[in-house]
Amino acid sequence: MPDALLDKLRAAVGSANVLTGIELSPYVVEGRTPEAAIFPGSIEEVAAVMALASEVGRSVTPWGGGTAASVGMPTAGAGLILGLRRMSRLLDHEPGDLTATAEAGMTVDAFQTALRSRGQWLSLDPADADRATMGGVVATNAYGPRRHLYGTARDLLIGVTVVTADGSVVKGGGKVVKNVAGYDLPKLFIGSYGSLGVIVEATVKLRPLPEQEELVSVRFDRLKDAGAAVKAVAASDLIPNAVELLDGGAAAGAGLAAGATGSSTPGAALVVGFDGVREQVDWQRAELARLTGPLGGRDVRPLNAATWPRLGPAARAAFATPAAVMTLAALPTQVAEVMEQGAEMARARGLQSAWAAHAGVGVIRAAIGSDPAPKDLGAIAAVLAEWREMVHAGGGHAHLEWAPLAVKSQVPVWDDPGAAGRIMERIKAQLDPRNILNPGRFVAGI
Amino acid sequence: MSTLTDSRKLELRRELESIVGRGAVLSDPDELMVYESDGLTLFRALADFIVFPTSAQHVSAIVKLANRESIPFVARGAGTGLSGGCLPAEGGIVISLMRMSKVLEVDYENQIAVVEPGLVNLHLSWKVGPRGYYYAPDPSSQQACTIGGNIANNSGGPHTLKYGVTTNHVLGLEVVMPDGEIVWLGGKTREACGYDLAGVFVGSEGTFGIATRIVVRILKKPQAVKTVLAVFDAIDQASAAVSAIIARGLVPAAMEMIDHLTIQAVEDAFNCGYPRDADAALLIELDGLAVGMDVQAEHIVEACRESGAREVRTARSEAERQLLWKGRKSAFGAYGRVSPAYMVMDGVIPRTKLPYVLRRVNEIVAAAGLRVGNVFHAGDGNLHPNILYDPRKPGEEARVVAAGAEIMKVCADVGGSISGEHGIGLEKADFMPFIFSAADLLFMQRLKSAFNPRGLCNPGKVFPTKKSCVEVGPVAYRPHAIEEKGLAQRF
Repeated sequence: MPDALLDKLRAAVGSANVLTGIELSPYVVEGRTPEAAIFPGSIEEVAAVMALASEVGRSVTPWGGGTAASVGMPTAGAGLILGLRRMSRLLDHEPGDLTATAEAGMTVDAFQTALRSRGQWLSLDPADADRATMGGVVATNAYGPRRHLYGTARDLLIGVTVVTADGSVVKGGGKVVKNVAGYDLPKLFIGSYGSLGVIVEATVKLRPLPEQEELVSVRFDRLKDAGAAVKAVAASDLIPNAVELLDGGAAAGAGLAAGATGSSTPGAALVVGFDGVREQVDWQRAELARLTGPLGGRDVRPLNAATWPRLGPAARAAFATPAAVMTLAALPTQVAEVMEQGAEMARARGLQSAWAAHAGVGVIRAAIGSDPAPKDLGAIAAVLAEWREMVHAGGGHAHLEWAPLAVKSQVPVWDDPGAAGRIMERIKAQLDPRNILNPGRFVAGI
Repeated sequence: MSTLTDSRKLELRRELESIVGRGAVLSDPDELMVYESDGLTLFRALADFIVFPTSAQHVSAIVKLANRESIPFVARGAGTGLSGGCLPAEGGIVISLMRMSKVLEVDYENQIAVVEPGLVNLHLSWKVGPRGYYYAPDPSSQQACTIGGNIANNSGGPHTLKYGVTTNHVLGLEVVMPDGEIVWLGGKTREACGYDLAGVFVGSEGTFGIATRIVVRILKKPQAVKTVLAVFDAIDQASAAVSAIIARGLVPAAMEMIDHLTIQAVEDAFNCGYPRDADAALLIELDGLAVGMDVQAEHIVEACRESGAREVRTARSEAERQLLWKGRKSAFGAYGRVSPAYMVMDGVIPRTKLPYVLRRVNEIVAAAGLRVGNVFHAGDGNLHPNILYDPRKPGEEARVVAAGAEIMKVCADVGGSISGEHGIGLEKADFMPFIFSAADLLFMQRLKSAFNPRGLCNPGKVFPTKKSCVEVGPVAYRPHAIEEKGLAQRF
């Protein structure tokens, strides 16, 4: 990197906030070391950095907590890391309005802690909340089990401030909970993986903290029966805030079973969350037992609250060293079948897999194990391709959430978006014409 | 005005007929008049053709023809919009989706339905109701407005307080792009691939393309519903009650405010049981599990009483509940009892600013020598001041428009928005700079260019622009055709 550029970056954000050389080790992704990591302290500084990067055509990777740094195709060039950690303040929280605005670098945990002190919360529960940042959660569309009732960022983000590729500051949405003025820019940035702009502030809708919340597990001998129970819950009067289906391995991964991790533990667990006033939680727990009993459900019991954050990563946690993790989207009624068939596909190639789903919304995560011994890459790639084909046949989608580079080189991370991909390319070309934001990382080569 | 010669018009009419069939193209000036405006009759423009496709292939062929001829085109549903959003381009083609009104598929187990854009909003709930389901977004015009129109405006309604607006219920869309290509954005599953184009499309006011199939979520009807009416002697107390309810950690399904003038009009017209001498009333609905509902209702009653409500009562029967809601949903029609005309405003403010903004609204309207009735979604801060006036009195309409602009400015200044559910359309295009910077608008223009590079699809909307080619100013109010037929009211 030319010294002149480095000097300008140091002048823009202060030399203590520009890392180079050995200091860059935390920002090495898949073997690629960035040229520098820059940590601006204000929107103006972010804009100055982007203007400089744009001027010289350096690629930029926005960086929050780094929890999703390895998601996506490897970016074309190492470029600059633009870290948001110095921008981590709660800017505004008005409990009476049920809204709050945070800087992008604020961790989800810090945000929730501040809200909780005033009886409210953001009904979004991504994993790694101690490190995941508000901006990162928006950029990667991260979520957890409670999306069953409360949705994802697209249901909660009402305003966003972004620094564009050329360094201008753009706001979309606003600070009110209902707003149709102008195009819905918050939707554009959710799940855009830093490819359209650097998110610097986010405004979200909040909810009052529920009086009670409880997570209840029901064990089944067969996954198929647990799948039938998911349908029974969906057709009932219950209003759960989470409906999770875990096979034996994932149940162990979430700490639900005594069995050894990685073993192909038989059986399945249905884990359902309830919130509300005490009577509502009690009634729903009893109703869940009544509904699931005839379907083979047993051992209905409340779980420790510490289980919540372990549910999303449960499939991956089934293995000490996973070989790949894939996220699959299917119709809710297809979930149990996808899990069973997918596990069978892996078995047929001599691989172990573990499966966990936000079953009520049809979002499934599957992990392939590589322990005790590393497995044949060809077999891993073949299984991933079969999984993808399986959900495509049912109208669904899949993406590779995590895999080593060697696997990524054989299996595309993202689905082919088809005709919609051309619109995405045009959007990218309009909003980042010099292609400096995370180039090549996203869908359709964007 | 149209630039086509009569003979060229005839040729194009024949070509359109070859796409959609005879009897599916209008070009007679008398017939075109029906489509000269939407629910906002302030703006009028005449198209050259109204075309009634029955398939995405039809829409695509019409759009391709329009591209070949460089003719602007505008999609239209029931025409109940209130911002001039589907106002025709002078000399363009109006693509009416009213003959694409089928429910194509209902998947109860997965709680989704696939519908055509011309389907009337309420008809979907009718269709799935017998099985215990409903479609949540419930604009007051839901008896007439279409799902396609709801997509364009990202429509809301009273129950969006708890259940969200249209975009929260749309999973995917088949869209005819402004160049005629048919593309799916999103689909039936909750996660799609790449940018959330379905999310970006919803609320784009017909400028990104024309939806021809829509995948929506349907919800299970709640086990129990409870409706509470709280009556206040001062509107500030009602505003305080809204905050008090939220402060107690309650999120009702709906929380609507109705002011004194509106109560008078509603009681004159329908006798719904609102106390005539009240300064304001709150209509609050809880829904969900039967168990625990009484406890929650008790919290609501207490919060209202502590805020100064003189009376709080719960609807004892479904009939009483329906009557209270009839009063709320028919309020706009009832203004006809107290004024020859009215213009509805749509602004959003942070809930905590309600008392201040309501006072400002009253001051602004009073200063203009006019009267205002307020009936609105208090729970999410979505105001609907309805300014009453007499269009026969010279200058009155202009004063209404000026007062409306001032009210929008107040909403913007307290950190709110200039539209909560009616859209920007033509009406508020010039107000966009109240809340968006030049950089914000440029960014949005670029996004539009990705979808609609030639600008032929619903031109002149959303962005500040000169209102040339459009009749503006002292146009006497006359009810729109669908209002005359009693199919819709302005709200």
